[in-house]
Amino acid sequence: MVLKSLTTLMFASVLGLTSYAQADFPEKEVSIVIPYGPGGGFDLAVRSFAPFFAKQFGEDTVVLPVNKPGAGGRLGTATLYRAKPDGYTLAIINLPGFALPEILNEKVDYDLRKMSWIGRLESQNYFLLVSAKSDIYTLEDLQNQDKITFLSTGYGSTVLAAAQIAAASLGLNEKSPVYITGYESTSNALVGLVRGDGNVAVSPVSSSSKYIESGDLRAIAVSGDEAVDDVQTFAQLGYPNLTQLNLDRAIAGPPGMAPELLAKLRKAFDAAVQDPEFLAQAKKARMDVLPLNGEQAQESLEDSYRFYEQFSTSLSNPNAN
Amino acid sequence: MFDSVIAASIYLGSFENILYLCLGVTVGLVFGTIPGLGGATAIALLLPLTFGMEAEQAMILMGGIMGAVAIGGSISAILLNTPGTAPNAATCFDGYPLTQQGKAGIAIGAAATASALGGIIGLGILVMVIPVAKSIVLLFGPPAFFMMAVLGLTSLVAASDNLLRGLIAACVGLFVAFIGYDEIGGELRYTAGIDYLWDGISLVPILIGLFAIAEMAKLFVKGGTIAQTPTDGDLTRITGTLDGVKAVFKNPKTLLAGSTIGSLVGMVPGVGGTVASFMSYSFTAQFSKNNENFGKGDIRGVIAPEASNNAKDGGSLIPTLAFGIPGSAEMALFLGVLVLHGMTPGPMLLIEREYSIFVLILALLLSTIFGAIIMLSASRYLVKITYIDSSILIPTVISIAMVGAYALHGSIGDVFAAGFFGLLGYLMIRFDYPRITFVIALVLGSLMERSFTQSLLMFQGDWTRFMTEGTSRILFILTVIALLVPILHKLRKYWRAS
Repeated sequence: MVLKSLTTLMFASVLGLTSYAQADFPEKEVSIVIPYGPGGGFDLAVRSFAPFFAKQFGEDTVVLPVNKPGAGGRLGTATLYRAKPDGYTLAIINLPGFALPEILNEKVDYDLRKMSWIGRLESQNYFLLVSAKSDIYTLEDLQNQDKITFLSTGYGSTVLAAAQIAAASLGLNEKSPVYITGYESTSNALVGLVRGDGNVAVSPVSSSSKYIESGDLRAIAVSGDEAVDDVQTFAQLGYPNLTQLNLDRAIAGPPGMAPELLAKLRKAFDAAVQDPEFLAQAKKARMDVLPLNGEQAQESLEDSYRFYEQFSTSLSNPNAN
Repeated sequence: MFDSVIAASIYLGSFENILYLCLGVTVGLVFGTIPGLGGATAIALLLPLTFGMEAEQAMILMGGIMGAVAIGGSISAILLNTPGTAPNAATCFDGYPLTQQGKAGIAIGAAATASALGGIIGLGILVMVIPVAKSIVLLFGPPAFFMMAVLGLTSLVAASDNLLRGLIAACVGLFVAFIGYDEIGGELRYTAGIDYLWDGISLVPILIGLFAIAEMAKLFVKGGTIAQTPTDGDLTRITGTLDGVKAVFKNPKTLLAGSTIGSLVGMVPGVGGTVASFMSYSFTAQFSKNNENFGKGDIRGVIAPEASNNAKDGGSLIPTLAFGIPGSAEMALFLGVLVLHGMTPGPMLLIEREYSIFVLILALLLSTIFGAIIMLSASRYLVKITYIDSSILIPTVISIAMVGAYALHGSIGDVFAAGFFGLLGYLMIRFDYPRITFVIALVLGSLMERSFTQSLLMFQGDWTRFMTEGTSRILFILTVIALLVPILHKLRKYWRAS
């Protein structure tokens, strides 16, 4: 621990010496690491955001999205963590996704709390979904089912954790629910729900709204503070401890970034997320832009840790060998 | 529907849009030819260009790429035994032997024609099934996925010359497929503490090693050139491209079977073109008359997979557009482009945006045709590659292959993997173990395992339900037939002989 703070101190002093260069930042292209493959929500968020973030630094600046998939996002996050805190390497972080391994007591090569948080870009609430053909209309109906089968992506994913937390809070665990995990994406799991592989799933609002519009799925509750259309929140239905269930996408830099540099990046971020052109593009791409500035993002991370840690006993792998 | 088709053709006919299409086709052909680059890289590269475009223009550009990639990929598969993209791997098995016999022109002619016609048939099938698309996608749950993988593996292994060696190669392929993080069990397997292996070894470096590098090793031992120099020494005359074109029309059954399998397998969500082309190859190899020559340079072995890997584009649009579940990295990126342009995939998209979908379909159609024409006219020059002396060819191909392996994910681990599988591939050639069963087992392995575990969770451990319920029951019956056919073939031969 002492050693760690010593290295941080050394880092800081080295940075102090080199900070003269930061007045001219950026002098080359800035890359934003996407810890997932191309095509997904995180990829899309960065690709939409990058040009408008670049605009804040002047005409010639290029902000480059760099896909670094691997190990469920841990590879890209670790890459960021080891990068030089010179502002030229940033990343988009999945919250609470990348905090989960730590909550599950697994070893990871990064510490989210030490990173330099630049701002939260998106935040999504979760729907609790059933097939529209089923006879489940309310949480009570679900609780009265004899057999409960959740469909979800694999162990270590945010969606599985959300499903387990929902099950624990709604008292479904006495029915010993089955979790069919391993679907390649949330969409795959939702198609499984339409098909009848299982009878309940949890999914971020934006991934599932199209199935609700088409009449294939029915949402029986939503997390967060606001009801969506006629779907009531967990709090309204008597389960306020599920309000905080959400999925955030935030931008961060490596630990130990010089304060002036961090301030500059945060300022650019705050301006970029207000850019009407960006908001128009984001709306077209159906992003859920809900910005928080760097400090607020840091606080929301702490909240997120507190929230998930209280459920840590419910989050073990349901299908461990 | 008819109005949309006409409106879409008029839209596509404008000068600017044709230009976008040609740009897409050119990029697609080049990226398809170079192993490791492929359609996903091309789409990622051109994606920022679409920001300022209308949604339909973006689709024309992407359609151009997707239609042409598989055509470009067949060139390297045929000439250098190096699949340009993963779905071209099955083309190597007969395309390359034809090249070695100095018949590269025929193979290229057949591949280009089969690709174009396969693409057209696939899109035709797509248009026909759009109304019932949803129910087709919903037919395939985890049990059906598992049975389909079993069917693919069985039909290929049962058809291999040496059953025991085919089985061994398939088992090794399955073993390699299981390397990495098991998402359901939540455990790391066979990673030996190496971070690179966490996600398993990706398919492209393995294919590059197994085919390109192994082939160059073999060529190095043999010396000389890939193709035998023609007896009269005239290189320009023996291209035979036209014969290849004719061969496709002489084998309409193969073309039709390849295209149909391609587009049907393409429709199955999460499976993708590689499985489609292997399945149609193994089907053709097993059920064609006079099939002794497969794997040694039968033109039908080129027609079937090439028809299939272009036909699959049509089919794979269904799960991508209707459910947002792409079957390949390429489709996943294309999905990103759609979303970026405000077209969120969903059950309603095919109906709500009929016009845009038809623009895409037409762009794909023209793209395969343009791609095929470019390839046919270039074939006489391309064929000359096979007469280059090995001292020049080997270092060039190996450098391109290694760069391709690196370029895919920017990972040096992939380069080592390509090297390792190059060695394994050479040993397999040397000791006569079939690479095809190895590759198909590798491709199907993770799908097979995941869907098996999911099915058992669904069935609460009762595995007999694979054979008694729904779609998987039908696939189970097909698997039994695939096992019996080679035995019946042999018995019939035996009776005839006695």
